[in-house]
Amino acid sequence: MKRLIQGAVLASSIIASSFTALAQTDGGTLVYLAQPEPPTLASYVSTSGPIGLVAPKIYEGLFDYDTEGKMIPVLAKSVDVSADGKTVTFTLQDGVVWHDGTPFTSADVKFSVMEVLSKVHPRGPNSFREVESIDTPDDTTAVFHLKNPAPYMLRALSGYESPMVPKHLLEGTDIKSADLANNPIGTGPYKFTEWKKGQYIRLDKNEDYWKEGLPHVERVVARFIPDASTRTAAMENGEVLYTGYNGIPNIDAVRLRDRDDISVTTDGYSMINPMALLEFNTKEGPFTDPAVRRAISNAIDRQFMIDTIFFGYGKPASSALSSSFAATDLYKPMPNYPAAGDVEAAKKILDDAGYKPDGDGVRMKAILDVIPYGEDWRRAGEYLKQALGDIGIEIELRYEDVPTWLKRVYHNYDFVMNLNYFYQLPDPVLGVHRHYGTDQIRQGTHFVNSSRYSNPKLDALLDAGAKEPDAAKRSAIYEDVQEILAEDMPVVNLFEMQFLTVYNTKLKGVYGSAMGPYGSFSEGWLEE
Amino acid sequence: MNRSTKILRYVLRRLMQGIPIIIAIIVLNFFLLNMAEGDAVDVLAGEAGSATPEYMAELRAKFGLDQPLPVQLMVYLKNVALLDLGYSFRHDMPVAQLILDRFWPTLLLMTCTILTAVGFGILLGLLAAINLNTWKDTAISIFALITYATPLFWVGLMMIVVFSINLGWFPTSGMENIAAFYEGWDRVWDIAHHLVLPTITLSLFYLALYTRMMRASMLEQYGQDYVVTAKAKGLTERRITFVHVLRNALLPVVTMAGVQVGALIGGSVIVESVFAWPGLGMLAFESLFARDLNLLLGIFMISSVLVVVVNLIVDVIYSFLDPRIEVA
Amino acid sequence: MSFWKRFARNRQAVLGMFILALVILMALFAGAFYPDDPFRLAGKPLAPPGTSGFLLGSDSLGRDVASGIAHGAKTSIMIGLVATVAAVFIGVIFGALSGYYGGKIDDALMRVTEMFQTIPSFVFAILLVAIMKPSIESIVIAITVVSWPGVARLVRGEFLALKNREFVQACHTLGMGDIQIMLREILPNCVSPIIVVGSLMVATAILIESGLAFLGLGDPNIMSWGFQIGAGRTMLRSAWWVCTFPGIAILVTVLAINLVGEGLNDALNPRLRERQ
Repeated sequence: MKRLIQGAVLASSIIASSFTALAQTDGGTLVYLAQPEPPTLASYVSTSGPIGLVAPKIYEGLFDYDTEGKMIPVLAKSVDVSADGKTVTFTLQDGVVWHDGTPFTSADVKFSVMEVLSKVHPRGPNSFREVESIDTPDDTTAVFHLKNPAPYMLRALSGYESPMVPKHLLEGTDIKSADLANNPIGTGPYKFTEWKKGQYIRLDKNEDYWKEGLPHVERVVARFIPDASTRTAAMENGEVLYTGYNGIPNIDAVRLRDRDDISVTTDGYSMINPMALLEFNTKEGPFTDPAVRRAISNAIDRQFMIDTIFFGYGKPASSALSSSFAATDLYKPMPNYPAAGDVEAAKKILDDAGYKPDGDGVRMKAILDVIPYGEDWRRAGEYLKQALGDIGIEIELRYEDVPTWLKRVYHNYDFVMNLNYFYQLPDPVLGVHRHYGTDQIRQGTHFVNSSRYSNPKLDALLDAGAKEPDAAKRSAIYEDVQEILAEDMPVVNLFEMQFLTVYNTKLKGVYGSAMGPYGSFSEGWLEE
Repeated sequence: MNRSTKILRYVLRRLMQGIPIIIAIIVLNFFLLNMAEGDAVDVLAGEAGSATPEYMAELRAKFGLDQPLPVQLMVYLKNVALLDLGYSFRHDMPVAQLILDRFWPTLLLMTCTILTAVGFGILLGLLAAINLNTWKDTAISIFALITYATPLFWVGLMMIVVFSINLGWFPTSGMENIAAFYEGWDRVWDIAHHLVLPTITLSLFYLALYTRMMRASMLEQYGQDYVVTAKAKGLTERRITFVHVLRNALLPVVTMAGVQVGALIGGSVIVESVFAWPGLGMLAFESLFARDLNLLLGIFMISSVLVVVVNLIVDVIYSFLDPRIEVA
Repeated sequence: MSFWKRFARNRQAVLGMFILALVILMALFAGAFYPDDPFRLAGKPLAPPGTSGFLLGSDSLGRDVASGIAHGAKTSIMIGLVATVAAVFIGVIFGALSGYYGGKIDDALMRVTEMFQTIPSFVFAILLVAIMKPSIESIVIAITVVSWPGVARLVRGEFLALKNREFVQACHTLGMGDIQIMLREILPNCVSPIIVVGSLMVATAILIESGLAFLGLGDPNIMSWGFQIGAGRTMLRSAWWVCTFPGIAILVTVLAINLVGEGLNDALNPRLRERQ
């Protein structure tokens, strides 16, 4: 299975190197799949995935990131961080205009961060929490004054995460219901033209784009096809050229991978860092005892789930943190995460903790709630039901629709075990802390600490980890964090997910961004 | 009282009867939907990734979801009475506009489906009746049953695999070629091209019904006295079948078709999903899971109104076609 | 018996009856052929039919498709039967009261019936299942709710036709109560059309269940053909057997039920005519 992934990576790097050698051609229509259809295009109030597939073509951020995580200038030419880390100065591009012709200035940056992202964006208040004020000495300079150093802020500046929005259209309106939601005006390479609900969103080339000679493509169309098999068929037929976030099921991606005209890549998701996991109710029900949760973590054959459900795409989790944090030396592998599962060890933990099986071999019964985001998760639930049955935990599965499930898990806390996935994002402060901190037990807020796990020792470590500028010290702090979590297991991490992008090789130049499908496609072009 | 005033009074009476039905449908669905856990704000916040309870409370107040249920219902009914279907907060758009956008594609697909199913159903039913109790009759009835019993999505997907991937005759899905943006007659042709596969798939399902009805209706007519008379007069079998029996046998089939057009306005979730056809069925499906109450109620209301109206039209036409049937 | 003779004369109906009997036997003896839980991960995932000891192949988690079909037969037939019995029950009550009493009662009950006929039925079924959360019970309830109005209309028609017949009038003069007349005298005389409609409804119910499962609204804890289709539909192109065999099971069963239904119709209707 590893070989497959390497193959895919290799294939994409060949393409990356071949497109620089070829002359880029202008024109053509780039049709790609966005699934499901976004409700609106208000990326400044929602980080909803489908919005992210479309809006970053229209709105840009200050920076983009390449696949190695290096910052690529977009609306900001450069950034300068002062020695104490508390003053961050952005120098903006010259001659940028909004799609309606109004010039883009540092006032837009100030407004976007202070009035929009810090106030109504779901993650903005966290990313920009240290920003006290922004000075705009001239039209192309924005100086951020921070209360404390916030190195993670510089990882959250992409067009998807922190879009720059037009002050002249939003100021004085109710931002949450502004007309802009359905008639977006940005600075990006493509302008919004038309939205036929249930069919497509059409974007046309921005003739006044600030980057010389770009974009190449005349028109970009995001198409909506509800059925996965039909999406695959449309890709095979060349009707669509690109889709990300498993828009095409893995089983089909594996089949299409071998075709000459279609390729598959796992690049473009490193800023997302998704982790599949089980959340437990640590306050009531059968899983209040950490020993039981440890036993569950031991019982699961993570590699089997990856191989059968995701067709080899994924990596067994081995700690509370994703192994991709190894790049910043924060990740350490921990015990209690056997990749292929260890049923005997799991049984022993339960025996030792005093959970004896009855005549039918049943030690306890529980309901497993399953995230309602597609068939793959149902298969995962069905696997878990069998695997936990093997160690004497009898599971009943419960599938509900999105609103019911959200209410149950994050509002009513009416669950004992929940199959879910979280984005760990580029830094633990942004994506992991929300899952474990006592301050993150926020009833009614989605995707935070629904386990209601609370450990003062851990809270102190998380707090220190957020503020520690020294890399080595930070690494030591997070090692302690991972040790505690591997022992207490309020959440059992299952596997690091690998999303797939499936694309027609005719489409070039859209693979270099760490944002992948959430990128701007500004350099995309079509062969022929 | 002459016939036309009689019909007019009949129409008015039926419409008056329809109004309480539609109000009842709204009320029933309103309470059903409110029994479901979670609301539109939960969905929006869940999709957005994260939102504070304060922010969500603010949104609820804006959407009017913080009001007591009876108040919300009254506000909705009042708006409907003023022909205002309300606003979809999810789409940030008026419900009427969202429904209208999807209405024409739905109507197009459904009309073509019914025409195809009725056309072939009549043909097959006729053939079966003429060749009663021969192998042809058996083959036709088995064929019709098989098309009815095969799961729709399977037929749809096979259609796509065979006719668009392997043979390349038709596009896989959608209503228009969106790389081209055709205009004028090119666009009409393009839409027709996209319409073929979903129409065939959906009409296969309804084919069995019409085939069976047509066959039964033909057989019933054969047993009527006028056929015996015609035979006695020495008319040929052919002439009797095609001139007399056929005409009379068509009536119930065509009536049924009319009634079904009404029922089909709600769309077909499965065919729309497989062929990415932008119909009302998928819109209703999505709005249910997004708890977009105004939109879903709007769809239910519009389709109910259409069912009432179409049924009425069918009954009136029927009374014209067959003077033995009295309205009222 | 002349009924059985008439039924047996219809070769298609006999064939249908034979297939249906096989399906019912399969449902009854599923546990004997496949004693294990059909959800058990039995071996190699996505094994094609006839390999790795799987007669009809295995699905993506290595579950036996054949075992699923055998165990699923029980669920699918159960859903069909229970939903139909429930729908017939409600339909008969509505139709009988409406047809027998007429007037205001008829008006009121028929308005309710019309209301349920006016709502787009499949979308309404989806709504009911989604609200009650997907389970066997909610699926049965949803199918019942969208199916009963047809029965009610039929029964009302029959009651309207029969209530003025001499034998009913005779019962009135004998001083029989309304309920007794309805249950003992009129209802037995409209059993045959109800049986015909009911048999077809079982088939429709099985189809609705598979449609709901296609949309992800099946019961996750009980094996059914709809469940198998839902689990296999995305892999139709790569592993055709996972949802094609359950699809064929549905097709064959629905076909058989329809053939039997038509046979019943042919065999029962002459009797009705004879009496008239």
